[in-house]
Formats: sequence, structure tokens, C-alpha cells
Amino acid sequence: MCDEMSGIAKKMASNQKQIAISEFFEKNKHFLGFDSLQRSIITAVKEAVDNSLDACEEARILPDIKIKISKIDSKKDILELVAEDNGPGIPQRSIEKVFGQLLFGSRFHAIRQSRGQQGIGITGVVMYSQLTTGKPTNVVSKVASEATAVTVNIGLDTRKNKAVKSDQDRIIWENEDLSPKEHGLKVTTRMKAKYQRGRQSVYQYLRMTSIVNPHAEITFVDPDGEKHHWPRVTERLPRKVDAIKPHPHGIELGQLQRMCRESKDSRLTVFLRQNFSGVSMRAAKELCEASELPITAKPKTMKPDQVRSLLEAFQGERMLGGKPIKLLSPPTNCLSPIEEMLIKKGLSKTIDSKFVSTMTRAPTVSHGNPFQVEVGLIFGDGMVADKHVEILRFANRVPLMYQQGGCLLTKAIESVDWRQYGLEQAGGKGVPKGPAAILVHLASTNVQFTSEAKEALSDNEFVFEESRKAMLEMGRGLRKHLEKKKKMAKTREKFELINDILPAIAEKSAAILERPVPELAGSITKIMSAVICNESTSWNRETKETDVTITLFNYTSRARSYSILVNWPEKSGASMIANERGGRKEAMGIWGWKIETLDPGQKAEINYSLANLEKGDWTETEVFFRGSQDVIGATKLDEKMLEEIRNQEKILAESAENSEDEPPVESRYEPAGVVEGDTNQTTLFGGDE
Amino acid sequence: MARVNDPQLTKARLHSVVEEMYDRIVKGEPPTMTLPVRTKNNIGFDRKLGVYKYGKKRSTRDATSLGSAKNLLRALHVVEFIEEMIEAGKSSTLREMYYISEGWGLGKFGSQNESNNLAEDLEVVTSCLREDFKLRPEEDGARMIGNITINELNRRGQWMTINARDDVGDSGYGVPYNVEVEKIELKEHDVKFLMAIETGGMFDRLIENGFDEDYNCGLIHLKGQPARSTRRIIKRMNEEWDLPVVVFLDGDPWSFRIFASIAYGAIKTAHISEYLATPSATYLGITADDILAYDLPADELSKKDIEALNAELSDPRFADGWWQDQINMMLEVGKKAEQQSLAKYGLDFVTDTYLPEKLGELGLA
Repeated sequence: MCDEMSGIAKKMASNQKQIAISEFFEKNKHFLGFDSLQRSIITAVKEAVDNSLDACEEARILPDIKIKISKIDSKKDILELVAEDNGPGIPQRSIEKVFGQLLFGSRFHAIRQSRGQQGIGITGVVMYSQLTTGKPTNVVSKVASEATAVTVNIGLDTRKNKAVKSDQDRIIWENEDLSPKEHGLKVTTRMKAKYQRGRQSVYQYLRMTSIVNPHAEITFVDPDGEKHHWPRVTERLPRKVDAIKPHPHGIELGQLQRMCRESKDSRLTVFLRQNFSGVSMRAAKELCEASELPITAKPKTMKPDQVRSLLEAFQGERMLGGKPIKLLSPPTNCLSPIEEMLIKKGLSKTIDSKFVSTMTRAPTVSHGNPFQVEVGLIFGDGMVADKHVEILRFANRVPLMYQQGGCLLTKAIESVDWRQYGLEQAGGKGVPKGPAAILVHLASTNVQFTSEAKEALSDNEFVFEESRKAMLEMGRGLRKHLEKKKKMAKTREKFELINDILPAIAEKSAAILERPVPELAGSITKIMSAVICNESTSWNRETKETDVTITLFNYTSRARSYSILVNWPEKSGASMIANERGGRKEAMGIWGWKIETLDPGQKAEINYSLANLEKGDWTETEVFFRGSQDVIGATKLDEKMLEEIRNQEKILAESAENSEDEPPVESRYEPAGVVEGDTNQTTLFGGDE
Repeated sequence: MARVNDPQLTKARLHSVVEEMYDRIVKGEPPTMTLPVRTKNNIGFDRKLGVYKYGKKRSTRDATSLGSAKNLLRALHVVEFIEEMIEAGKSSTLREMYYISEGWGLGKFGSQNESNNLAEDLEVVTSCLREDFKLRPEEDGARMIGNITINELNRRGQWMTINARDDVGDSGYGVPYNVEVEKIELKEHDVKFLMAIETGGMFDRLIENGFDEDYNCGLIHLKGQPARSTRRIIKRMNEEWDLPVVVFLDGDPWSFRIFASIAYGAIKTAHISEYLATPSATYLGITADDILAYDLPADELSKKDIEALNAELSDPRFADGWWQDQINMMLEVGKKAEQQSLAKYGLDFVTDTYLPEKLGELGLA
């Protein structure tokens, strides 16, 4: 896609400067996102918000984004969009570039997970605005190092295809409360567009964005003046992602040709070692040998068929000793998953419901591209029960709102038999029904779409399998939750029976017969005839800790002995304190205690607290047991599950080691979208450059 | 079948229910309440009484689940409440008891259905009638028209003599909820037979056409599934005056059940069938063959109708050949018809043609 875009831009810039912008737009409006009046406003908001989030992330600022849409002229469908953030701002000299340039070069040179893989960015909005209203876009920007903000109108000269600045000035920029604004960006633009509600709307886009960006505060005022607010639920910014070099398995001919052409390396082995990930010295030599090229070949002077040979060696078509060249996997630290706890928070804040099950798979690689799938499921009474579940699809934290049916992520959901996990689904196929929403997020350095519209992911068996596996695991979480809910209700009933009803029966019958109230212990043991476990996980407002109490009652006629195990959010950085019973770590996130003897009619208590968590991070503790007699309220420990957890732990530890071997390419901070120097950058308007 | 109302016996029987619970707790077991299974699988023909009664199957309700434990507690509250009423000489409706249970804390009823069922449970376990418990039903009794004279004890404690033809308006004599001897005396009559009718529309049609006088009979409106008092007064007139009883209902599976409850005893009240059922009652119509013979406008059987018919095939009360034929024929024809579909041939057809023909077969016309 990037190649293609760059190609278009180059053509535009060099040979065909005369092509009118309007024509360019008309031809490409599908993948620019301006193909309908309804979609245009969503695209405009999307470009603005993506820029804000990216800029804040790079500058390590917690984003505060305000969007306002007003109707200017209902008859002519003219809307005004105001998008404001608290990001780093854009230096005055760069504003024109950001808002008046096509930005192809910057993002394919270094490979990393990035939001801005779609369209032509905010420039498209400026163009669309100019074309449909004839008016420029106003930009107010302030950087922290300057005392005042700059305000400037960016328009374009459609005759000369050239960006034009006007009314540039410096102003004092204040917040609503009249305090001086430290830094930020505000874009005000008018365009021909229609505001609509429903599944494909600005509202839904912002809501979805807020789910996968729990660190962002988003406010939206719609054309009716109604204010929507999605609060920040975590102070944790997404992990800063490292750019990585391309992996030989994921490269295409055009890209390899360009890389060779631009290379200043004098030896092919050096070129391979320095420009690709996963290539050791040994592998570099073997690649040369397999492609029948001398290790001293100078990449810049390589002939097209030599480049092709090299590619064939990359792809394992040219082998050495009958085997493809063995390459290391690319590092996966270039990915930024949302991570389970934040998915949980993001879902919980937009959908009012109690149960969330999440699953972040370990990163993996397909065709040299690192990727990672994570899923979340929210379930509960707050949602409609007899409709299809809501599907929330994301690629690199960008909401996918169109073409749901054709998307790989939807297909993965449809392939799961949800009936076994407690949702309704006709024939065990298709989108399930029930009071639930399913979130799927693909984080990848190379997201493959079905079309230029970039709204549906194209088929990829690796991504599909990972998504499916994640969904199955998450489904098990849902099933467990439902089973537990049922069991807990049953346990509560039993307690009500022995604590309230039985004593009342004893008293009343004694009163009617005028006899003494009988002793209840014997009846209670017969009625319960079980060991019962009660779990309570609650937030302690004073200590800011999560207090957990596990109580075990023995209502049988024999003494019992158990191991009690619990899950706890060790991975998310919690620490276990005030655990007086001690016990031991059984696996990552699994702690166990031994309860030697529990006499009939006795109870045992386990108490501990979890520190370093926020309120709502951890609301339910799962209790497992090892022992012969069943425990109501706890699950018999599946030793295989424990093994699986230990394995995942090992994989994570290994991948962490791996990434240390190869230091990541240094990433340097740039204001969103601004690229300095020669980076295949082309101005669409053929202006000053 | 006369009954004796003995408050001390009633109390003693209720106490044995309480004792069962108490003794179990003393033994260190969950408290229980044992009662006959009240389904069609546990009713059998009682040769001595000539009606269907509960069989030997017993179910035990024990306090090992919250629901049944609550039920036991409720039973205790009801026992206590009944004793209080017996002592105070009061009575209450089932609905009143349901509202009084609001004050019973954990023992309060969740719905009126629960309180009705529990009253029946206690009747079944103690072999008492709910009249002994001083509990009245909400359901109103039937209407009756014909040359029948009754003595009824009114609220002021005076006996009134009422003739169900001359002393009543078009709506007839209203049968009270208690029709036992302490309340109702059957004085005299001049009718050849009694006809029980399912719908109000047909009851009124026969009155307007003067059928009761023309054919010298008593007409009783059942109002759907008949109340206990309706069945009881039919039973008393049948037994004490030796009057034949014919039953004229719609032609559908539900009407068959109404007839069974009149003639053989209802499943829910099989413990007192000998007081309520009239084994000699005859099903007059609408039969399955009437639908064909009179070419009556008919509706398709619904899924529920078919299920009901199939259930009736295995119901011991419908085990005889005539009923098996009727049920199978209705299933075959796949249709059901209402009484009032006879109006297809005019308003007088039912009194001029249909009923005379049907009664003629029985030797009553």
C-alpha cells in the first residue's frame, strides 16, 4: 500500500503536476475515506484524533482530546469540526508541512506498529475542506518552549496545486478556565458532510477509540449540543514502541530494489546485517552463497536479476544444501499490545457490565512480520440479550468500522462454537447472540487489508489461528464465570438455608408443638454435606489495596485436608502483601497454601492484600483446590492448566532474552507526521520543495 | 357421602405434619414433609368409591434445598394461622392468607399460586378439606336455573328458601363456596335431569329458548373448569335426589378434562374425589363425531391441543374404549369445535334439533 501511495504521489509531484487536486481526490476518495458525506466527517475526526494520540504517545503526554461538531448549514450539509488536544504542539515552521503535505516516506522506512497507516493523514482533511467549501483550515498550535501560540490558516491554491498560508499571527492561548495553555493543537475546519448516528458514526468511532486508549480523556460535543465524555481510566501510557528493521521473510521486490538502490554499503553482507532483522553474520554469508552473489557485491550496483536472486534466497526458494537459510525471528518488542488489564478497563468504562474476560496472546511472527492478537469479552445484564453480540475490531489501536462481515477478525469469531461457552449461536457458527461484546485487536508491523478502504483485514492463516486460540481461551473464561456465578448462587442459597430457614423451622415447629427448640448441628451437616469456599475480593479505600479473603467451611462429618490456590495479577505488576499464612508461588500469577486439617464444623481463613493496583483492576479471585472431596465455590485444579501457565511464562522469558540480543533501532522523537530531510517525501501540491 | 367437621381432629392431623419435621431435626436429619405424588401417574380407580383417587406413591419434600426448606417453613406458618382461625371462629380467603403471609418474614409466599398449592398440600396430607381449615377459595361458584328448591343459611344465620326458577332473575341462583349441609339443604325439585354447560353464551341461549321448562331440567353454568363447590353441588343433587347428570361442553381436549374432573375427579383434588366426582355423569357433546355428523364449523387443532390429546390417551381416567375412540378420532380429524358453532343452523337449532337428538339417545328426551 505504501509503495502504491508513494508511487501516486511521485507521479503527481514530478510528471503530472497539472492534474488537479480535485481529480486526485475524486479518483482516490475510497481509500482516502471521503467517498460519502457520512464517512467524510468520520474520516476527518479520525485523522485528527490519530494524530493527537500518536503525538501524545511519542511525547509521553496523557492525551486530553476534545472534539466538537456543529451544523453550519443544514441545507448544504456543511459541518464544522473543532479538534483540540493537549499534545506537544507543532513548531511554527512545520505546520505547513504537516497540513499541506503527503507523508508517505516516513512510515515505511522504519517498520513499527503505528496508527497512521491509513489515508494521507490530516492533509486529506485540509484538501477536502478546501474542495467542498473553498475555505482554509485554521490551525492553532503551541509548543511548551514558546510563550505564545501560533494561529494560521492553511488553504490551497487549486489552480497552482499549492499550499497557501494566510492570516498567520501569534496569540495567547487559554484553557476554558482561563489558565494559560501550555501546549497543544487545535484544528478548525469546515466541510460538506453529514452527521449520522449508529454503528458507523463519529460517536462510535470515538467510543471505540476510547476503549483501546484507556489512557486518553475524550470529550465529544455532537451537533445537537449533547456532550459525551469518556474518562481516562489509567495513567499508564502505552509502552513506547521500538522501530525494527524489516525481516527478510516479509519483504517485497520493490522494497528490496529501493533499499539496494539507496544503500551506501560497500559489501552485501554488511548491507544484510545492518538493514534487516534476524540476519546473523552466518546467515548473511549463507544468503550470499544461496543467491550466488559474492559477499563483496555492492548493493547499489546490483542488477535487477541479482536482486531477485537475493529475494529468492530470502524466501527460501534458493536453498543451501537442500535447506532454506535459517533466519532468526524478528524481535517482537516493536509491538504495543493494549494488555489484558487495560482492555478490561477500557471495555468496562464504555459498557456498563460486570464481567470481562480478556486474553493477550504472546507475540508471534507471520511472513517476517511480528504480530500479536488480543481479545476481550464483556458480558452482563446491561446489554441486550436477544441480539447479535457487538463486535469491536481494531488494528493497531485503530477502530475498524466498516465491512465487518468480510474481515478476518470477524471470521475468527464466527468460527468458534460459542454455545459451549454460554452464548447462543445458531448451529454453532456465525456471530453469537447474547448480552455481550467481543473485542479483537491485532497489533502488527504490517496489517494486511482486503482493500484500499482499509476497513477489513485480509485472510492470513497465522493471524486467524492466533485469533481463534485467543477466543477459545477467552470463552473458557466466560464459561468459568457463568459456572461460578451459578455455583455461588447455589452456595448463597445453602447458607441462607442453614443460617435462616432451618433455625426458623426448628423454632416454629417447637412453638406449635410446645416443645423445646431442637439442636441443629446434625441437620446442618446432613444438609450441606460439603466443604464450602467463600471468596471476597474488595477494594480498600483507606489502604488503596485490594483485600482478598478466602474462607473454607467444613460441613462434612470428617476432617479434611486441602491445597488452596488462587490467581492474582502478578503479570500486571501487583504485589502480594499481608499474607500471614505464607504459602508458595506455584506459577506465574498462581499462589498456593496448604491447609493441613480442617475439622468437621470448622472454618479456615486465608487473608492477603494486593498492592500496586488501581481500583477496579482486580475484582474477582478465582479459587482452585487440590484434594479428594469436592469444594463448593472452588474449582478442582487442572494440573495441565498450571503446566500451560508455566510454559507461557517460559516463552515470555525467552522472548525477552532474545530481544536483548538485538538492540532496537533508535527511535527519535518527531512531532507527529513531520519528517525532516530526504525521506521520499513529496508535496502533493508541488509547492516550495 | 356425608362429611363430619371436627376441629379437634383437624388440629391433631395438622400437628402430625409438624411432628414429622420436629422429630427429624431431633434425630439430626433434615426436616421433611411427606405427601402423595399429585400427577396423573399416581391416580387410580377406587372401586369402593367409584372415583379416581391418589395411589400409594409418596414424595418427600426435605429441607436440603432452599426452595423446599422455605416451603416447610411456610407450611408451619399456615398451620399456626389455621389453628388461630379455628380458635377465633374466623375464616379467610386464600388471597387474604397470601397477604397475611407478608408478615411471616422468611415464610412469606412468593405468589398466590404458592399459597393455593400449599393449602392443597395440607389438605392432601391431613385428609381434611380446606373448609376445615377455614380457608375459602376466590373462585366463584356456578349459576343454576331450574325448578329446584334449596334452603340456604344466610349471613344473619337464618335459613332462606330459594327456588332456582321462580325466585331468581335471568342470571339464576348463585352457588356459594360452601355447599355442605351446615350451609345448604336440598329441599325439593321437579326436574328429570341436570345439564352442566361450559359457556355462558350457551347457558343464556338455552334459558332464552326456555329449554329448562320445555325439557324439565336444571341448567348449571360451569364457567370453564368448574369450582369445587360447583362439582360438589352437582354431586349432592346427583346422590341425594338420584338425578341423572349430562355434561354439554365445547368439543376440544380441554373440555374432555372438564368432564373428567366432574365425572371421575380432578388430578389436583384426587384426595377428595369421593366428595366432588359424579361417576354417573354423561358426556353429551360436542363429541368428535358431532363435528363430522353435523358438519360444524371447526378450527384446526393447535400444537398444544395435540399435546393435550396425546397426554389424555395415557391418562387412566380416559382409559375406556369410548374415550380412546373419541380422542383418536379428534386427532385424526385434526379439528375442534365450540358449542356455539351449532348456531350455523340458526339460533334454535341447538334446542330444537341437536339437544333433543342427543338426549333421545340417552332416553332423556
